[in-house]
Amino acid sequence: MKPRMKLLRSLILRPLRRDLPRTLLTVLSVALGVAVVVAIDLAGDAATGSFRSSMETLAGKTDLEITANGGVDERWIAALAALPVDARFSPVIETQAVLAGVGSVALYGLDLLNLAGAPNGLPRVAVSEALARALPVRPSAGTVLTLNLAGRPQRCEVAQLTPAGAAEFVAMDIADAQQVLARYGKLDRIDVSAAPGQDFAALEATVRHTLPAAYLVTLPGARNQENQRMLRAFRWNLRVLSYISLVVGAFLIYNTISISVVRRRAEIGILRAAGAARWMVLWMFLAEALLFGLTGGLLGLALGRILAAATVRLIAGTVNALYTTSRPAPVVLTWAETWLALATGAVVALVSAFAPAREAIQVPPTEAMSRGAHEHRARLAWKRALAWSAGFAAAAWASSQAGPWDGYPVGGYLAALLSVAAAATATPATVLAVNRATRTLVRRKVEGLLAARSLQSSLSRTSVVVAALATAIAMMASVGIMVGSFRQTVALWLDVQLRADLYVRAAAPAAAGVNPPLPPDIGAVLSAIPGVAAVDLFHALDLHYAGERATLGAGNLDVVRRYGRLRFLPGQNRDAILRSLSAGDGPNRAIVSEPFAIKHHIRAGDRLTIPIGPHMVALRVAGVYYEYSSSQGFVVVDNATLRRYLPGQPATNAAVYLAPGADAQKVRRQIQLRTAGMGISVAPNSELRRAAIEIFDRTFAITWALEAVALVVAMLGAANSLLALVLDRRREIGLLRYLGASPAQIRGMILTEAGLFGLLAAILGLALGFALSLLLIFVVNRQSFGWTIQFHPPGLLLAAALAAVWSVTLLAALYPARVAARLVPAEVVHEE
Amino acid sequence: MPAPRLELRGVSKSYANGGPPVEVLHEISLTAAAGSITALVGRSGCGKTTLLNLAGAMDFPTAGEVLIEGRSTSSLSESQLTALRRRRVGFVFQFFQLLPTLTVLENVELPLLLSRAPRSAGTALDRLRWVGLEDKAASLPYQLSGGQMQRVAVARALVHAPDLLIADEPTGNLDTTSGDQVLALLRESAARFGAAVLMATHSAEAAAIAGVRVSLKDGRIVAIDRG
Repeated sequence: MKPRMKLLRSLILRPLRRDLPRTLLTVLSVALGVAVVVAIDLAGDAATGSFRSSMETLAGKTDLEITANGGVDERWIAALAALPVDARFSPVIETQAVLAGVGSVALYGLDLLNLAGAPNGLPRVAVSEALARALPVRPSAGTVLTLNLAGRPQRCEVAQLTPAGAAEFVAMDIADAQQVLARYGKLDRIDVSAAPGQDFAALEATVRHTLPAAYLVTLPGARNQENQRMLRAFRWNLRVLSYISLVVGAFLIYNTISISVVRRRAEIGILRAAGAARWMVLWMFLAEALLFGLTGGLLGLALGRILAAATVRLIAGTVNALYTTSRPAPVVLTWAETWLALATGAVVALVSAFAPAREAIQVPPTEAMSRGAHEHRARLAWKRALAWSAGFAAAAWASSQAGPWDGYPVGGYLAALLSVAAAATATPATVLAVNRATRTLVRRKVEGLLAARSLQSSLSRTSVVVAALATAIAMMASVGIMVGSFRQTVALWLDVQLRADLYVRAAAPAAAGVNPPLPPDIGAVLSAIPGVAAVDLFHALDLHYAGERATLGAGNLDVVRRYGRLRFLPGQNRDAILRSLSAGDGPNRAIVSEPFAIKHHIRAGDRLTIPIGPHMVALRVAGVYYEYSSSQGFVVVDNATLRRYLPGQPATNAAVYLAPGADAQKVRRQIQLRTAGMGISVAPNSELRRAAIEIFDRTFAITWALEAVALVVAMLGAANSLLALVLDRRREIGLLRYLGASPAQIRGMILTEAGLFGLLAAILGLALGFALSLLLIFVVNRQSFGWTIQFHPPGLLLAAALAAVWSVTLLAALYPARVAARLVPAEVVHEE
Repeated sequence: MPAPRLELRGVSKSYANGGPPVEVLHEISLTAAAGSITALVGRSGCGKTTLLNLAGAMDFPTAGEVLIEGRSTSSLSESQLTALRRRRVGFVFQFFQLLPTLTVLENVELPLLLSRAPRSAGTALDRLRWVGLEDKAASLPYQLSGGQMQRVAVARALVHAPDLLIADEPTGNLDTTSGDQVLALLRESAARFGAAVLMATHSAEAAAIAGVRVSLKDGRIVAIDRG
């Protein structure tokens, strides 16, 4: 065996085996950190990676896609087919249908004449093999399926099963689709396939030239890219959150290697005196860290794969609720992901171990320094650390002032990281200050005195553990404050926004980006019901603006003005703005939501040109209003403006305002009676509000799960470090037994120490958490999503969380306390 | 006649450590009366420290009995043993064994704090005055010389006026002057506080202050010298 390996075995591996519980705790900390990163990445890929249209397998390759908001007029098919190009132009309708036992699936209407015209009058459909397998009863040719289309049941006959890999869809002929969906004359898009030999550039130019300027002609991947772009802030923020556990884990590796170095100082001295080069010592400790990193990485990979399967539905739920429809794809662990996990574990371990390993090589051969001297030096260094802390804090402030970088809140995240560094370097001073402040208090009980002094005496190590715990608490507190503030802001906004008494929409499952139409005469039906004072018909259409997706909305803004309470940014007159939009004369005007304004740098008074149907329409922005339902944003015009460019566009939602004294329940029943068979749902104000808050809570569920993992890692770290402290001070603990300490007193001392750890971490964590929450609310969130969140720290929740963390820290100390109480004094006091 | 402070009756001690048992003490019998000083002498590894641990109720014999104030240590529960150590036994070690994080006064006070005795600081200061280190009360151990540290250790061992003072090589790590000071304190402990002092030592000077010198070899008593 090579000498280096021999040294590694005797100086690193053997002690690791001897301290097996601590070794396992460290590996587990790294593993959990890596697992969370892997899980979020894999689950994010699976939940958002399934946008690629599954119809490619059915309709063949597509070279260009033609879309327009409000739909593509089907007459363009004929015009395009007449062009002197060698290409196929296929009409497509793409929507969602609900199938019992499966949920939402893609429904395509395509030029599939072979499916048209069933003898029994039912539309004939092709069902993908994967969907057939997913159905409770596997269908075959002739089976009748009932599709739920925007609330209306539609029976169809299965004509064939189509092999299409993992894609799950139902397809029918375009004419049948238009009929069952009541979309006469309208297509969702036209797919263009060039024949071999056709000049693609010429084809694209000809098609663009032929179509109205407002029509979008894009490459097939564009929608997928657009979706990914839309989700990037969401995924990026999730990914950053997943790194919290790694940061906490890094503190713990730093701590473990520090302990390793301190404990083997004498051995390092001897080794160096015996001729070992510095780099050999450095290599040994880095190898120890690498071992933790790689083992933890490997374990984390396996754990991450399991966690991903559990998380994917949660992420997909958020994507569906807030962004766009997607069905989660299977979680796939790739080689790239495997290497990334291992590399993450290794890099985090090496980086966090470098400082203590470097310290190890600076031990002069003649000096086998004692822990006391090392800690004494650490005690003297607190002022320098505090100066560093001030430097980091100043840098954090400067960084928080920077604008977004390529749409990412890089400055905000850097500021958060610098704030963590500032808190970490302020830890020794805080430990000393709290120790000083509680000096009289802790003296009342000998356990308190011993615990407080022990914290102070192992300042460097105490500080790292406190910093790790504080970071986890701060992350939890900051996200708690951010989510709490956001929730409160949304709740207040809902109070303002949802002023109507009843809301009417198509009875389809709610999903972002899916706006099924209401029947054309719904406005008249609703207005005629006794007790109804006003109806605001709202139209939601897809909008593509500056390469980003948004929603074009149109409503009866005079009704909104009279009955609603839409809030505009400070300094903007709500009444005047809404009056100017609903006035029939003058230029076209629009209002935009705050996220849209921020994303596209638009202010009141600016001009905006957007596609409405086949037209490019110039609008003057009359105002910017607060809106929290979509980070993509809204451009809202009056119904009259929309009708001017898209006559006959069906409404997607209706808000019903009741006359004073009208009974909401009675009116709701009347609406249900008069719209029976139309496939619509009527919800009272309270139900909508509850649903919105439910979506909100579901969206942030994953955030809490990530926080919990970070806390578990910190707890493992606390247990690990306390165990190390116990083992390191076993002679002192043995001595206490000689001096008359009972096992209960020893246990009490360790638990008090843990309590102090928790208290210090809570103080620091809360302070850091408040700073981070300000960054999250006013920098990260604003730059990522464009929302103004009011600061509403959830006091009770924070207090409960801190109490929980403190209790769990004590729980984590039970095992080390037990070890301490069971030490055999006669053995440990006399051992050298 | 009052019972001796410490009595060892045919005490043997062996350790197994996974292999066949190794006997480190063999049928040791001795007594220590109040105010007496007993020195255990012998080479390293002859069983002195093991005997001290048994005498201080920090370990238990494999055979025989250790009686402190007439009570067998083997019959006592963990809490009774703790109470016994708190009230009746004081320890002095070769390497001082002061807690580096506590001040000199707190180190001396520690046994009283552990037993929740009242007016502990005043008593501790008295003891510190007795060993001549009152002015070092607020110092930390690392600020003291070796001799001073051992004097603090003696003050700590006697702070609760124990019946039995156990000292393991108390001068083993000290220069002659400091060693003499510590020995003087031990002598005074027996004379003034009436403690039975049981001391393990390599030093002839230390052994010379003892009324009884017990020579150990390979775990057996080979000679007892009274005089």
